[in-house]
Amino acid sequence: MDALGELGNIGASHAATTLSQMLMGQIEMTVPAVEIVDLADIYKHVSDETAALVIFQMQGEIDQAGYVIFMMPLSSSIRMTNTMLGMTDEDREINEMDESALNEIGNIMVSAFLDATAELLGIVMLPSPPVLVIDMGHAAIQQLLAEVAFDVNEVVFFHTTLVCDQYSINGDLLMLPEMNTLSKILEMMDKLLESHLT
Amino acid sequence: MDTQQPGNEPRAIVIGIGDYHVGAEPMTSIGLGSCIGLILHDSKLGIGAMAHIMLPESGGKKDRPGKYADTALEIMLRDLARKGSSPKNLQAKLVGGAQMFANFSGNLSIGDRNAEAVKAGLKSHGIPIKGEDIGGSKGRTVQYCPANGFMVKIRRADGDCSEI
Repeated sequence: MDALGELGNIGASHAATTLSQMLMGQIEMTVPAVEIVDLADIYKHVSDETAALVIFQMQGEIDQAGYVIFMMPLSSSIRMTNTMLGMTDEDREINEMDESALNEIGNIMVSAFLDATAELLGIVMLPSPPVLVIDMGHAAIQQLLAEVAFDVNEVVFFHTTLVCDQYSINGDLLMLPEMNTLSKILEMMDKLLESHLT
Repeated sequence: MDTQQPGNEPRAIVIGIGDYHVGAEPMTSIGLGSCIGLILHDSKLGIGAMAHIMLPESGGKKDRPGKYADTALEIMLRDLARKGSSPKNLQAKLVGGAQMFANFSGNLSIGDRNAEAVKAGLKSHGIPIKGEDIGGSKGRTVQYCPANGFMVKIRRADGDCSEI
């Protein structure tokens, strides 16, 4: 469990640094929590608030590895793209410019996250092209769960919250590994720890 | 199971993924994507049931009956019968079964398959479908209060509200 937390920590801090450089602002990050969550309790972690979700499949040396998701409440998304695009109107609809900015931010952050974790594990992990969904957070995540939690009733979440007080932006970075992937990652972490001890 | 209080609505039992509830209390399922909220209502007794169904078939698994279309219907009917409800007084409504994103490989049609499985089950038990809001690409939150009749309130991700 500690090993998984450390893996998430390294990935998330790379992603946070990347975001802070893009926004030229200070990003605070919570220590990533590795949460084992019962399916029936997912709504306590992801509400039905409308959010922008940039969703990636993890690809590379691990097949069907699961998903990495960058999720922001809609209000935060607009404040963030305003900051990047030099606009001020917060009370507006999401447009194509926002969508491509969100895709790009998600892409850069998730790449940083996966690069860092994969480097630690000594494997290649790449994000798929992003899929952007503006919808209820819970509804989008639930459909991904239908794929990763087909056989199980508990899922493992890597959950980091990113906050930028300067622009009152907050977002969440979630990794939702498929069960086989999780055991492979644990195996690799074990080997890594052993080789450090001997 | 837990309760929450959204705005001025009465306190409702939140039915999480794979869960179900039977009784007269207000019930809600939040953020239905490809999942189906199946609601059974007995207007004679003023009770009902809601399940948050995730997948079409249990394949023999019994550990979480609310998760699959086939086992959810069976367990709801059993628990309703225990409260004195007869299947011939029951009516059904369905919400959810959306396709949230089209660009990924994998279980693309899971929402449709869930809806088909639920409908097939209802048909085999002779339970009429009195209303449905299924398909499309948007998430939905659903509310139902058996004591106030068979009105089902739906709120979509874009803020639209409706009743079936």
